[in-house]
Amino acid sequence: MASSDMQDVKRRIRSVTSMEHITNAMKLVSAAKLRKAKAIYENTDENFQYITHSIEEIFNNADEVPRQYLQGSRQIKTTCYIIITGSRGLCGAFNSNVIREAETQMAKDQEEPLLITIGSKGRDYFAKKGCHIYKEYTDPPESIPFLVTQEMSRPIIDMYNEEKIDQIVLIYNSYLSQLEHEVSVKTLLPFAVEQDPDIIRYHKEVEYEPSVEDVFNYLVPKYVEITLYGAIVESATCEHAARRMAMENATDNAREMLDSLSLYYNRARQAAITNEIIEIVSGSEAQK
Amino acid sequence: MATIKLEVITPSKKFYSGDVELVIARTLSGEEGFMAGHAWACKLLDVDALWIREAGQKEFRVAALAGGFIDVKDTIIIYTDAAEWQEDIDKQRALASKEAAERWMATEQKHDPNEIARAQIVIAKAISRMKVADSGKRR
Repeated sequence: MASSDMQDVKRRIRSVTSMEHITNAMKLVSAAKLRKAKAIYENTDENFQYITHSIEEIFNNADEVPRQYLQGSRQIKTTCYIIITGSRGLCGAFNSNVIREAETQMAKDQEEPLLITIGSKGRDYFAKKGCHIYKEYTDPPESIPFLVTQEMSRPIIDMYNEEKIDQIVLIYNSYLSQLEHEVSVKTLLPFAVEQDPDIIRYHKEVEYEPSVEDVFNYLVPKYVEITLYGAIVESATCEHAARRMAMENATDNAREMLDSLSLYYNRARQAAITNEIIEIVSGSEAQK
Repeated sequence: MATIKLEVITPSKKFYSGDVELVIARTLSGEEGFMAGHAWACKLLDVDALWIREAGQKEFRVAALAGGFIDVKDTIIIYTDAAEWQEDIDKQRALASKEAAERWMATEQKHDPNEIARAQIVIAKAISRMKVADSGKRR
């Protein structure tokens, strides 16, 4: 048990301690950010439930929905994927889950898909793979205001109307609880009208003004904007939750490592002392 | 007087939620009042004022809306991109944004239709906000 060995262990203990400090601090920071993001998320989620619900009800009940927005109105060739990831790492499988799901979805397509990435992690990955990225937004998702999502969705809807793309799919992390989130794949357009007979159809006529078509031409982009914004907020919340969890695990692991390292160090130190005593004792024995 | 539940929702918050007797909003074809028992409707709103008479109140509350749509069923839901109560409107700021947009329009060279449309919306919103801030009582 040489003293250089003890030196090594000591150095490792020092580095693991500082790592533990960092991960612990990051955990606290993400916990605070998570609390803030969660408040925003819950707020928008509740509001958007109303809106999406009312829009979906209208979709399901109006007889003269413009055909181009309905499922089955055209063959699906080119799909536009909107992939929401984070812009930073150190959050466990948060980004890679979304990327993996996007890849499996894309593998099913015959035509080359159109990619829109939000958050730089997804951008980096698909750019490296040589995929064509139509548009990218690299700002961290939590700092994207509603106005920007409006600008994001406008060209997508235009392309949809010009039949350059036939389907818009959103892939993001959806929030289940602080400890659980799940990748969800949502088709924004074309809209699937529920043919379910269980859905109550209105027994009253609904007035549309100026006309059904105009109302729809307003509502469909709104629906896309709102869902997109909701997904971004949700994904940001998930990112903080995932990072908090990853950092908690890292802190726990660092502490465990510190425990075993200090045990090893103490043993080594004790062995060195014992060695020295033996040397002294045997030295004095020899002099007798 | 019969009341109906009204919710006004913007992207950032639930702007208003409560029981009201009368809601007056400007649809694309003119001002329209909605009361309990109104025929079901789904209408687009123009950039203008929203008048609300709450249950049991005499006075109207006024807010500026930045367009949107109204969904009238057993409850009324108004969705708008932005809303502001009359008392919260900063007239100076509205005036400044109107002037900035007008200045931009005057010096604009590129003639991008989207940008011009956006500037026009900014001006319409600013005018509507100033109008709402100045509007008196309605009986």
